[in-house]
Amino acid sequence: MLFRKMLRDLKEQKGAYAACVTVIAIGLMVYTSLSMVMDNLRLAQQSFYEKQNFADGFVDVQAYPYNQVAKLAQIDGIAQIQGRLIKDVRVINPIEKGGNAIHSFPEAEDNIYLRLVSLDTSQTSLINDVFLLEGIPLTEDSLNLWVDNKFFEANALQLNAELSLIIEGKKETFQVTGMGQSPEFIYAMRTTSELIPNPATFGIGYLPLEVMQSLFNAKATVNNLVFTLEPGASFEEVKAYLETELKPYGLKSIYPRKDQTSHLLLSQELTGLGATAKYMPLLFLAVAAMILYIMLKRMIELQRTQLGTLKAFGYTNREIVLHYLSYALLTGLTGGLLGGILGSALTEPFLSLYRQYFNMPGLEAAFSPGYFFLSLILSTVFSLAAGYQGCRKILKLEPAEAMRPVAPPPGKKIILEKFAFFWQMLTVQGKMALRNMLRNKLRTAFLFLGMMFTFTLLALPWSFKNLTDVMLFDQFEKIETYDVKIPLAVPLKQRAAEQELAGFPGVKNVEALAEAPVKLQNAWHEKDVVLLGIEDGSTLYNIIDNSGNTLDPPSGGVLISERLADLLEAEPGTVLTVESPFFENTEIKKELTVVGVIPQNVGINAYMEITSLQEFLGQGELATALLLSIEEESIPLLKEKYNNSMLINGIENRLSLLRQMQDLMDSYTGMFYAMFIFGIIIGFAIIYNSSVITLSERSRELASMMVLGMSPKEVLDVITFEQWFVSFFAMLAGIPLTKALMAAMAEGIGSDVFTFAPEVNADAIILAFLITTASIIFAQLMAARKLKNLSLVDVLKSRE
Amino acid sequence: MKPDKSTKPLIRAKALSKIYQMGEVEVRALTGVDFEILENEFIVILGPSGSGKSTLLNLVGGMDQATSGELYYKDLPLHQADSKKLTLYRRDAVGFVFQFYNLIPNLTAWENVSLSAEIAKNPFDVSTTLAQVGLAHRGDHFPSQLSGGEQQRVALARAIVKNPDLLLCDEPTGALDSQTSIQVLKILKEFHENYHKTVIIITHNAGVAAIADRVFYLKDGAISKIVTNAQPISPEKVTW
Repeated sequence: MLFRKMLRDLKEQKGAYAACVTVIAIGLMVYTSLSMVMDNLRLAQQSFYEKQNFADGFVDVQAYPYNQVAKLAQIDGIAQIQGRLIKDVRVINPIEKGGNAIHSFPEAEDNIYLRLVSLDTSQTSLINDVFLLEGIPLTEDSLNLWVDNKFFEANALQLNAELSLIIEGKKETFQVTGMGQSPEFIYAMRTTSELIPNPATFGIGYLPLEVMQSLFNAKATVNNLVFTLEPGASFEEVKAYLETELKPYGLKSIYPRKDQTSHLLLSQELTGLGATAKYMPLLFLAVAAMILYIMLKRMIELQRTQLGTLKAFGYTNREIVLHYLSYALLTGLTGGLLGGILGSALTEPFLSLYRQYFNMPGLEAAFSPGYFFLSLILSTVFSLAAGYQGCRKILKLEPAEAMRPVAPPPGKKIILEKFAFFWQMLTVQGKMALRNMLRNKLRTAFLFLGMMFTFTLLALPWSFKNLTDVMLFDQFEKIETYDVKIPLAVPLKQRAAEQELAGFPGVKNVEALAEAPVKLQNAWHEKDVVLLGIEDGSTLYNIIDNSGNTLDPPSGGVLISERLADLLEAEPGTVLTVESPFFENTEIKKELTVVGVIPQNVGINAYMEITSLQEFLGQGELATALLLSIEEESIPLLKEKYNNSMLINGIENRLSLLRQMQDLMDSYTGMFYAMFIFGIIIGFAIIYNSSVITLSERSRELASMMVLGMSPKEVLDVITFEQWFVSFFAMLAGIPLTKALMAAMAEGIGSDVFTFAPEVNADAIILAFLITTASIIFAQLMAARKLKNLSLVDVLKSRE
Repeated sequence: MKPDKSTKPLIRAKALSKIYQMGEVEVRALTGVDFEILENEFIVILGPSGSGKSTLLNLVGGMDQATSGELYYKDLPLHQADSKKLTLYRRDAVGFVFQFYNLIPNLTAWENVSLSAEIAKNPFDVSTTLAQVGLAHRGDHFPSQLSGGEQQRVALARAIVKNPDLLLCDEPTGALDSQTSIQVLKILKEFHENYHKTVIIITHNAGVAAIADRVFYLKDGAISKIVTNAQPISPEKVTW
């Protein structure tokens, strides 16, 4: 019978319980789906790394003799070491050349690049081995290559299709004989500044080492080494050995797996997922638990005489507590079940999103009963704990006491009443609301916390989105303001190169850029970065300080980015030790003084005036890239003339980069809207429940007011005043909370690729404010419907 | 037919006192009362508001603990019983009827009665009991769909169905008109006579006293006198 009572009680308050169930379900949906996705990604990553023998360390070097690589394996701690050639080349798109025969790329308006990676066919167990999905082994007798599957699919390639590449200035045509995946390029970007893989314009090509060596005139040398470590070996020790050995050969950098771009981005994604899977559900469960607690507590107060009657019949405390707990249990179970089911169902769509960006096998949704049941257990435990807290009072209540009306709460004046001026301003409803608030401190606190979370949940994603938008666009609208960037395949004489392009029709301005790979050291801190040499008074590459002013590149020292300054523990005045493969004599170390620290969101760099940098390097007036300001109509002409030049690595159009950024941001939009909706639901659930509780608790008082001739709206003011009053301060408190969370996110997300300052912008605050307000109004309207149904006669007739 | 009166005491009280803390006020509800109630007795407790009637009933019903004194149900010392023992006592031995019915609003009449039968050791049949109070046809109505008299009869059925040794009624006719009150009293009397159970009614209506075997008069928390009716009258003859 008590079960029937419960069902009917639940039905009466179905709105309130439904809100509670929804909040629980959302929390657990996030939990199960993200946990399952994370597990899947992690497992896929681990098994892929293991199967394809993913490297522990990576080395970039100018040229190292191939036949000496085997000797490096003697170094203590190295399990395996292999040499490779890695070169970026451009793919000829027959459409732009009006060519025929071979595969064309109708979609790509930009340059298409392949990163050619050699595969040493003489090795039995390759490091970073390619997982061939389709095709046949590579042969050395003809020009054939494998490409990565994303590039293959994005460009609608077929096996045996022909691709023409520009290699050392010559056109070479290859046959595609296979396609596959590599653990090294799970997240494949050409440069880290692209931030998002674009398989239509950038892919990986795999060639036999020997073929590549002969194509690139790199006889018997390699420019990249990969190695695996013995179990327990220290990367740093191995690195030290390798440094001494490789320095004479133009060592550029040695970095561990954790700094490898693809791995880094995948790991960051996993960390982020893990945090979201942990904290989001906790927040939702906490809100649901508070709602349940307050609802049960209130219900028990309202059903005091029923409870007393049950006790009078001889129902035991256990039976009664269990009865009331069953409300919580049912709510928790329903929410958990719903969340578990929805979450499991969402795993596949989430994974398909990841499949778009992360290229590895094994990303298939698998139902995990573990998480499903864990979510059930979580929701049940949370609900029961909340429910038990809510109905603990039953245990203490003597049946006779339960039958008597509650002693009226002491009607004391509240502190606010001492501020006569303020107090006089309030309407009677306002006074009632304020007194009520202070008497139910716990409930008021909950309302406050809940609304603060709602606000934060709305402000945080929006703020984050705005911030990333602004920063990315800053990079390409304020900092890199050229129209076209031409990276050079080999460093050229600055003046000659500038003169060559300055005369090109449509070119308004040409500037040279020198990018020198350097190792910067301050005491025991060191970091491999690119030192940028920028022309004095540059208008195409701007250095901007914290207050938005453009700085001139320094000639007597370096400017470094904030993150770099942190990593090196350097500040203006610090003298850094510099090593570079670009030095005339790579054995020596030189010194540079830090003259300033500047903000940099994308990448980390050091900056100098180009002539000073050239002098510092001692290699004459070299430039590694050219920046152009050019009429847009002239760009195709420029491409036509220079694209096939062996001196350049391509022609980058800033606008298309910008467009890519836009695409990246758009791909996140769905997530932002989801967070938004979650925020609205939580806000609604809290306000609606708070209204319903107040309504039921004070129905007598409210009905009396209506009998006195007040309109339902005036009566409702008692409830709404309280909610607005609390919510207003809660929203204010949400601003610093959002700031704190942004700071935590900045800390967590910040990497060498991407850093940002934790700022909360006004847009986000206003938007969160408006939406929170809207959800409050909506919930109040729903509650007002309940008030209209209040029967005055019934309420007033019933015994107190 | 009137059954033979037993002489075995069912309830014994000695110097029973109860002091409440109501908010900031101390209420001395019972100030050391002594009495015995026998098996198969029909008792009416009379007294004005605040005389301690309800307190006395609550103590006897195991709903509350005495502040001092002794109280026995048969050999069970209620004054020493912990809340578990009291719960069991209420569950097995006592039936309660309240002035304001206290039906569970979300359960139908039949379900309300059944709720109580479910936990009893030796209950009567639910439908039969409902029929006994004349509500066989209203079993699937919710309390809000019943009149006051009907609700009180459901409450009676709910107390009787447990087949308790002791039926305690707190102003059972307090909220009812005279016709309905007579109906309720008749049901109580029938239960007493048919099953030889002890019934205690508290009321401030002096007329009701005439149907009792004995009448306790309560005033200011003490029993002022106990009157034995040689010839209890039937409920129809009660004057209102």
